[in-house]
Amino acid sequence: MVKTKIVIDYSKCGNATGGIDPRQCSKCLQACDPAVFVRHMAFNVKEDNPYDPQYWQITPVWLSLCTHCGKCVKACPQKAITVSF
Amino acid sequence: MCDWCMKHGAGGKWYLNARNYSYELAEAMNLQAYLEEQWKNFEQVYIRKIMGISSIGLGYKLRMPIIGRVIRRAVEGMIHSESKNRNPVRADGHFGQVIPIEEAKLIMLNLAAEPIIQNYCMCRLMQKGIKDVCCINFGVLSTVIEKLPRFIPENTKVRLSRDEAAAALEEQNRKGRVATVWFQPVPYICAICSCETPQCGGLRLRMDFGLHTVYKAEYYAEVNPDLCQGCKTCVASCQFGAIRFSPTLKRVLIDPTKCFGCGLCRDRCPHDAIRLLPRNENPLLRGKY
Repeated sequence: MVKTKIVIDYSKCGNATGGIDPRQCSKCLQACDPAVFVRHMAFNVKEDNPYDPQYWQITPVWLSLCTHCGKCVKACPQKAITVSF
Repeated sequence: MCDWCMKHGAGGKWYLNARNYSYELAEAMNLQAYLEEQWKNFEQVYIRKIMGISSIGLGYKLRMPIIGRVIRRAVEGMIHSESKNRNPVRADGHFGQVIPIEEAKLIMLNLAAEPIIQNYCMCRLMQKGIKDVCCINFGVLSTVIEKLPRFIPENTKVRLSRDEAAAALEEQNRKGRVATVWFQPVPYICAICSCETPQCGGLRLRMDFGLHTVYKAEYYAEVNPDLCQGCKTCVASCQFGAIRFSPTLKRVLIDPTKCFGCGLCRDRCPHDAIRLLPRNENPLLRGKY
């Protein structure tokens, strides 16, 4: 069984870790046909208002559904995504 | 009739029991705090570690021998949990069922508790980054979601009347989305969504991993061979891959075991060739939700 690994460089993507705000970009989410990625609030950061979080991150969750098409790698303006299998 | 109708249906379908929509029930279960906690952390549900395991790479985890089966059983137990100390951040007891549009409208016009609001589809926002006003929430949940600015649509009315909400559901049906009604948590009902695979969180777990977050409807579709003209309109509307066109027969074939009974194909058919039949009256499909 081929296991897909998708790594996102959080120093380029994710505004809690020094990258850009994924809410403004989300190119990988839209490029991915099987919707592998999930955009979520960052963990372990102090939010001013927990009802309106400001720190966001993208995590590839449904790895077994990845089709290795490479569209997310091409779509990412920060070149933060690497896919290996 | 499914297990949940037996438990919470008062002799009928669970989603047609008025008690499940009542404020008395919500108060008795202390749902305001529960739902607030759940929706504040909604997007983290798949990334959060639950009993040491997160949903990241769930497909691989479920395929492991023995361990996969243990995980599957634990997740199913969590989704259908009715215990007293349910954990809101894991969305315990949150699952739903596909319903045809006429039942969705029936719920909206008669049963749903005020206030009724429309908001961005959380799943589509989370997995596609698309802002799409489509979820209809009501009862306690609408007062909770109104506190969360990221789900509130801009330049659109948020609170709806019953008629407006029914019209909004009709509009989503025309776009080709499947109406689903949700326990949140069981037995309280406070949302009707217009779902689409693969972005829907519930349909994702059901279609790709076989977890019962969304049950099939109480109906299944059947095509009348005399009326079908082979225009294939219905094939394009099916999200579950249950319909195909047969060139030999020059008509469509519906696989009843794959059919979720949403009724989209029936609503699309220009020749009225498809009808919905009760699932429980078919010996093959009875009890297969």
